[in-house]
Amino acid sequence: MRSIAIVLGALALASAAAGATRLDPGVSSNEVKIGGTVPLSGVAAAYASVGRGADAYFKYWNETHGGVKGRKIDYEYLDDQYDPSKTVDQTRRLIQEDHVFAVFNSLGTEQNLAVRALLNGAKVPQIFVASGGLTFGRDYKQYPYTIGFLPSYVAEGTIYGKYLRAQKKKATIAVLYQDDDYGKEMLRGLEKGLAGRGRIVAKQSYDPTASDVNSQVAALKSSKANTFLIAATPKYAIQAYIQVKKLGWKPQIVVNQVASASNVMKIVQSSVGSLANDSVSIGFVKDPTDPRFKKDKVVALYRTVLRKYQPSADPSDVYNVYAMAVAYEFVNALAHAGNPPTRDGLMRAVTHMNDKKNPFLYPGVVVHTTPQSRFPITQAQLIRWRAGHWNAFGRLVSAR
Amino acid sequence: MRAWAARGGMLAAGVVLFFLLPHVVSDFRLFELARVGQYFIAMLGLYVLTTYTGQVSIGHGAFMAIGGYTTGVLVYHRHWEDWRTLPVAALVAGVAGLLFGLPALRLRGLYLALATFAMAVSVPAIIKKWESLTGGSTGLLFATFHTNRWYYDVTWAAAGVLVVLAWIVLASPVGRTWRALRDSEVAAASFGIWVPLYKTLAFGISAAYAGLAGGILVILSLGANPNSFPIQLSIYLLVGVAIGAFASIPGILVGAAFVEYVQVYAPKWVSDSPGIPTFAFGAALVLAAFAATAVSALTIRWQTGLKRGPAKETS
Amino acid sequence: MLAYTFSDYAQQVVSGLSSGGVYALLALAIVIIYRSTGVINFAQGEMATFTTFIAFSLMHHMSYWPAFFLTCAIAFAGAVALERVVIRPIEQAPVLTLVIVTLGLALMFNGASAWIWGGAVHQFDSPFSTRPIHVAGVAFSIQDLGIIAVSLVLVLLLWLLFQFTKLGLALRASALNPEASRFVGIRVGWMLAFGWGLAAAIGAVAGMLTAPLSGLDFNMMLTLLLYAFAAAVLGGLESPLGAVVGGLLFGVVLNLVAMWHVVGSSLKLPVGLAVILLVLLVRPNGLFGRTVVRKV
Repeated sequence: MRSIAIVLGALALASAAAGATRLDPGVSSNEVKIGGTVPLSGVAAAYASVGRGADAYFKYWNETHGGVKGRKIDYEYLDDQYDPSKTVDQTRRLIQEDHVFAVFNSLGTEQNLAVRALLNGAKVPQIFVASGGLTFGRDYKQYPYTIGFLPSYVAEGTIYGKYLRAQKKKATIAVLYQDDDYGKEMLRGLEKGLAGRGRIVAKQSYDPTASDVNSQVAALKSSKANTFLIAATPKYAIQAYIQVKKLGWKPQIVVNQVASASNVMKIVQSSVGSLANDSVSIGFVKDPTDPRFKKDKVVALYRTVLRKYQPSADPSDVYNVYAMAVAYEFVNALAHAGNPPTRDGLMRAVTHMNDKKNPFLYPGVVVHTTPQSRFPITQAQLIRWRAGHWNAFGRLVSAR
Repeated sequence: MRAWAARGGMLAAGVVLFFLLPHVVSDFRLFELARVGQYFIAMLGLYVLTTYTGQVSIGHGAFMAIGGYTTGVLVYHRHWEDWRTLPVAALVAGVAGLLFGLPALRLRGLYLALATFAMAVSVPAIIKKWESLTGGSTGLLFATFHTNRWYYDVTWAAAGVLVVLAWIVLASPVGRTWRALRDSEVAAASFGIWVPLYKTLAFGISAAYAGLAGGILVILSLGANPNSFPIQLSIYLLVGVAIGAFASIPGILVGAAFVEYVQVYAPKWVSDSPGIPTFAFGAALVLAAFAATAVSALTIRWQTGLKRGPAKETS
Repeated sequence: MLAYTFSDYAQQVVSGLSSGGVYALLALAIVIIYRSTGVINFAQGEMATFTTFIAFSLMHHMSYWPAFFLTCAIAFAGAVALERVVIRPIEQAPVLTLVIVTLGLALMFNGASAWIWGGAVHQFDSPFSTRPIHVAGVAFSIQDLGIIAVSLVLVLLLWLLFQFTKLGLALRASALNPEASRFVGIRVGWMLAFGWGLAAAIGAVAGMLTAPLSGLDFNMMLTLLLYAFAAAVLGGLESPLGAVVGGLLFGVVLNLVAMWHVVGSSLKLPVGLAVILLVLLVRPNGLFGRTVVRKV
């Protein structure tokens, strides 16, 4: 009996030792392979920069620092055309054929939902999901390998609600929102933030296959609301502003972060002039076309990195900056994921983040997570459009 | 008789390949091949509709959506085993096809095309709206996964059965009537053939095929989502049919493989700079169309040459 | 819940006309190609986007109107070349092949636009201002009225072309009966190419007038093609006036249908298309189309 126990014990030790030296998928002595899905073509192709910007940063980091602990980061971003069935195919490819260490920075709410069970079942980290869906930070008990990055859409809506609540005049709000989880969560947040002071008097949804939102804005105007929340993507946000001008409506406009990049607002302003003034939004990523950051060294570095490693990318596209912010945090996390890095080590690192100095984020915005609090960014800056650019006002607000 | 010998040969080759491939290609390839099979089944049905009754549909993605969501609902809400839902998916989509085919009779050519286009756009929108059943924009997510080999087996076994079924239907009186219709609808009607019945039947059968393919799509995608059935899907089905029109079953296989592989590998084979993969896919389509036209012209010339034999002197 | 007043309805009709003006312009291009060549050009929208991008680049070097007309000329010439090189070899091929080719071209133009000018949205100015005019509580926009006016002017110019010029006559003859036209000495091949050129020029106008409405980006016309196609079919595929009327009508129908709560904006497209199909059941060749007799 005792001899069997000894043998079993020895076997156990031996296999543990073998396991300890066996590397996790995607890890080799000089490389860590990660991958994700991004819409490179099709209707959502404008978000492709979320992948390209991160790729540029990793290449820069590999060249200037030799990677992380001597391992270069090999980032593969595949096209899913914003179609969840293709997200499944490409994610399968990443884990079964390319054997990636982690799935990183995949874009889209429905797209990430489609692969979440698969990845968690296979214990593959699904990190820094590029979606503000509340579920990615909230449902960690069921899906411990998943974590997001953006402030959630609910949180963003709450910020707007709180802002409007604090205004002198009671807000009667008309809302244009996209007909999916993103739009609906923004609405929920708005209600939460208002907490009874101020009313949503009209809401109109649009489908991303719509040619325009003219009829929706006309219907919203007839509600005579004094505030207009545009929770839409850039194309429809621009249309909405133009419609507001054409209808002769003059509400207080709040526009969501997805559409409030400076280059979009400049287009809006050229069409509607002073109507764009006093529009309110939030920001948490440094906007490269914002004159406040003209002399910012990080923005200059950003431009150089982009020009060198993704020459076809457009530096005025703020999603590139977002992508670098995420890539920066990944490098941080990888450095704390063990040597050699392990998947569990990575998950431990991303649930214990505390970075006050991410250079691509607004000054003061902190990246902070605990195992029970999986929303890396929970702060934002309220900004107001005046004199052709965004102006920060007030302190950083909580985006919980 | 010779036709059946050729078909038998094709089927035998298919069966051999079916059992051989898993030992030759990597496991992930089997999943890709399952996707090819999914396209193949839908294209097969559309091919029958287009080639045998001349009705062009750019909306068969809608029937895939109907079949796909039938599978989705049965698995998600009623906990059926996924592959068992496939015949039901075919049935539901087939009925939808019959219901659509009937009023569509009054339309012809481009007007019919618009009607099918309208359907392709409308069905996902309606599905999205019916949230309580379909999960809206989030869709229905499955909890059971299978091995790539399983997906490959189920898809191609179904494909094999459906090919044989198609041969049987085409050789039956129904098939002969369709061919008569294709040659001249007015003449067929004057022979006492009730044209509406046969045209609608073609729609129903092709829709059933698409519905089954849609069920497979959903199973392979681990769930049903309205974004999986965009208008591009209907258009790509047509691509497969266009290529297949020149070489029947093998042609449709080529079409299905084309649609699956070129989309995925264009970024790798060409470049993934913005716009290049799309451009490359478009260029591939144009070249494929040109190639198919050239091949067809040559084949006709070769066949006519064979039949006629050496040129004879005429006085 | 909103209780609708008369001015709400009126405003929705006006909004519908403004959306419809956009459909009308692209529908016009589709009809011209169809009428002169019998082909539905699925690449029409993407060609329009591409030519608008060309205008965008030109406008960095010259002022608006010279760039505008130069773009129309480039679009015309480019499409003529395209027809001769790509379409001509497969003129006799089955319809399905032509469909695939035009779809392939659409993807090529779309990809080229993204590759050359990038994925971000760009500013593109309109010759018309966005200032509203208020009439009886309903807001009209100069920009939208301008778009409708331009499409009507184009219809008029096309009518003059087709009815009163030798070229127009040759174009019509080539489309109706290519064989007979060749017998009387018409260069049918060049007439087809001319049809493509004309449609592309109209498409360029459509692109340049609609880009200011939501910014210029390479996916601008992606969803618009369906609406334009529906409008063209509604109007009767051979009639330029039908294209414009169809476009305006479709825009209005969509907006009115969306006011019904059951439908809302998520189902307005399916219901709008259903309305068109109902019209087709009564008039199978569209509002302005002519019935065709089928010979055995």
